[in-house]
Amino acid sequence: MPMDARYYQIAFLALFLLLGVATRDWTLHPETIGIAIATCLLTQALAVTLRDRLVPLPETAPPSVLQSLPSALITALGLSLLLRTDQPLTMVLAAIAAILSKFLVQWQGKHIFNPANVGIIAAISLMPHAWISPGQWGEESWYALLFLGAGGIVLRRVGRWDTTIAFLASYAGLEAMRNVWLGWTWDVWLHRLTSGSLLLFALFMVTDPRTIPNARSARILWAIAIAVLTFVLRNVFFLPTAVFWALFCLSPLTLLFDALWAAPRFVWRSPQPAPPVPQALP
Amino acid sequence: MKRFKLLSVLLVVVLASFLFAAKAWAFCGFYVAKADAKLFNRASQVAIARSGDKTVLTMANDYKGDAKDFAIVVPVPVVVEQEQVTVSNASILERLDAFSAPRLVEYFDSNPCEPVAYEAMPVPAAAPARLRGGAARNTDSSLGVTIERKFTVGEYDILVLSAKESGGLETWLLQNGYKIPRGANALLKPYIRQKMKFFVAKVNLEKFEQSGFQNLRPLQMTYNSPRFMLPIRLGMINADQAQDLLVYVLTPKGQTEVTNYRTVKVPSDNEIPPFVKNEFADFYTAMFQTAYTREGRNVAFLEYAWDMGNCDPCSAEPLSRQELQAAGVFWLDQPQDEIPNPSGRRMMPRPWPQSGVFITRLHMRYTRDKFPEDLMFQETQNRDQFQGRYVLRHAFQGEMKCAAGQAYRRSLPKRFEQEAQNLARLTGWNIQDIRNKLPKLEAQALPWWDRLWEAFHG
Repeated sequence: MPMDARYYQIAFLALFLLLGVATRDWTLHPETIGIAIATCLLTQALAVTLRDRLVPLPETAPPSVLQSLPSALITALGLSLLLRTDQPLTMVLAAIAAILSKFLVQWQGKHIFNPANVGIIAAISLMPHAWISPGQWGEESWYALLFLGAGGIVLRRVGRWDTTIAFLASYAGLEAMRNVWLGWTWDVWLHRLTSGSLLLFALFMVTDPRTIPNARSARILWAIAIAVLTFVLRNVFFLPTAVFWALFCLSPLTLLFDALWAAPRFVWRSPQPAPPVPQALP
Repeated sequence: MKRFKLLSVLLVVVLASFLFAAKAWAFCGFYVAKADAKLFNRASQVAIARSGDKTVLTMANDYKGDAKDFAIVVPVPVVVEQEQVTVSNASILERLDAFSAPRLVEYFDSNPCEPVAYEAMPVPAAAPARLRGGAARNTDSSLGVTIERKFTVGEYDILVLSAKESGGLETWLLQNGYKIPRGANALLKPYIRQKMKFFVAKVNLEKFEQSGFQNLRPLQMTYNSPRFMLPIRLGMINADQAQDLLVYVLTPKGQTEVTNYRTVKVPSDNEIPPFVKNEFADFYTAMFQTAYTREGRNVAFLEYAWDMGNCDPCSAEPLSRQELQAAGVFWLDQPQDEIPNPSGRRMMPRPWPQSGVFITRLHMRYTRDKFPEDLMFQETQNRDQFQGRYVLRHAFQGEMKCAAGQAYRRSLPKRFEQEAQNLARLTGWNIQDIRNKLPKLEAQALPWWDRLWEAFHG
């Protein structure tokens, strides 16, 4: 099986998780990570099997269950990195919601929402034992560099680095304007941007090639829209979880943008016939 | 949408003291005149009770100067009315401090020759208290400063100001006798731009004398805002050294954490030599400083997170319902058709362990270079309980003649050494000085096989 960018993503997300557990004082339980991984893989396998029963595949198609598992693993790692809970059941439900959203909420074979984002939103809005800790990474530049470096490699492989740049640049620009207007010193601006959680989101979630618009100009516009909404939610509504809500609210725009800007859809293994299973990054 | 536009709570306290003007901007600037006996210099204490968008903020006042020289300026998101401001009892913050303070726990080893089913019960040793802790509208159009409200609460005369630009506000404050430091102008601007109002309090000497209180009481205010934060920038304007801030957050669900800085647990559950009992304040101060440096000086330390209904071990009795209400907790027995209890009789507490109030004690030590942004908080659903707890184990001193007693005695040097190393690691103290303070073990002549055993097993 040829290496696709998902394996790099898995390696990097796992590395971040290990670093977090080892060097950061998190409310992170190994068993919760295990539960997230097991639930995501199991739900994915069951859902794909069930779907294949209902919609028979051509015989030449690759084994779709196996092929789709790396995406489920990425979702599980993303959930483990970002979502906090003190009850295993919450993680189970979040993971199921994340994976099932790929199968249940789709339009013309393309799922609309980023699965890990769905899991996070479902957990923090519907379940009593879930929260996000935006401050958990701190702002050490070492982390920022590590995120950037690792993300860069993955993005170059996936070819969707443009959304990261558009998102970060427009968000930084908006924060800079606010900073100038309020009259804060520039270290306030820098402090607001050098958050590990923000970079993690920009590099690994807003870049998900399976759920973002296909055409580059559409992607850039879409990323800017997310940055604007994040800025508004953070500074006007004071939501600590602003980025996740912004992505969730604007994900349906992908459909509109895909209709307006026609471009070939992203698939993980381009030489092969398009895989029948929609797969996703966290 | 209007409420989202109401720019929210920003709280800055400025001490505009005539005598201590240069120090006047320490956050919750009451704290400039700290008594020497205090564990941390320049420490402020704030209690925040919050549920939904409603916040009750209590600012400790341990100002020790002449009452006539005392004044504060607090930016608030909305015009605060007279009924939203009260004076609280100073003992409430002391109670919160005592209940949540880092604590020592003592264990006494039993006689190894008389095994019992349980280890000795922990005897909590309370940590020393670480810290004690009408609508006239009048515009000065040339300066752009408007007096929105003017009233008296307890011993305080209060003005609520709005301003159009920072220069005007600065001039107004100076003209009205508030000595504010240089550089205040630039830092007032962001708060004015966010359309904050400024809550200004001075002591009404006549009322203060009538009240019969020796010290100024804490000011408590209630407001509604989606914003959950504390400003620290103004307090650092002239600060030449780190300042400590203790925040006791009372919420209905779970732990509160800082969202724009890391929240880190203080080291806890370490076994340390029993002699620390007599120098716990020194120990905790050194340990905190070591942890603060190790974490990069830009984190908030979690010192305590617990349901207010219980404690284990308790360093002080849990607060009664009345005390919680005095601390600002407004959601207890709030629902349905609650009728105020005129008799004031205490109601039955809710079943253990959930009292409906969760306390988070956060300790920040901040400097301008490491804390550029005001502190933002969020309540989480995290009900993990945590306490800063340090364990003293007293060795059994009596006579031991059995084999188990010998083994126990052999194990002591290693244990003492481990405790000494824990202490050195936590505090940065010299290991040799610590070893010199360890209890001396009786030098008994051991048979050669025991010495051999010890050499192998330590």
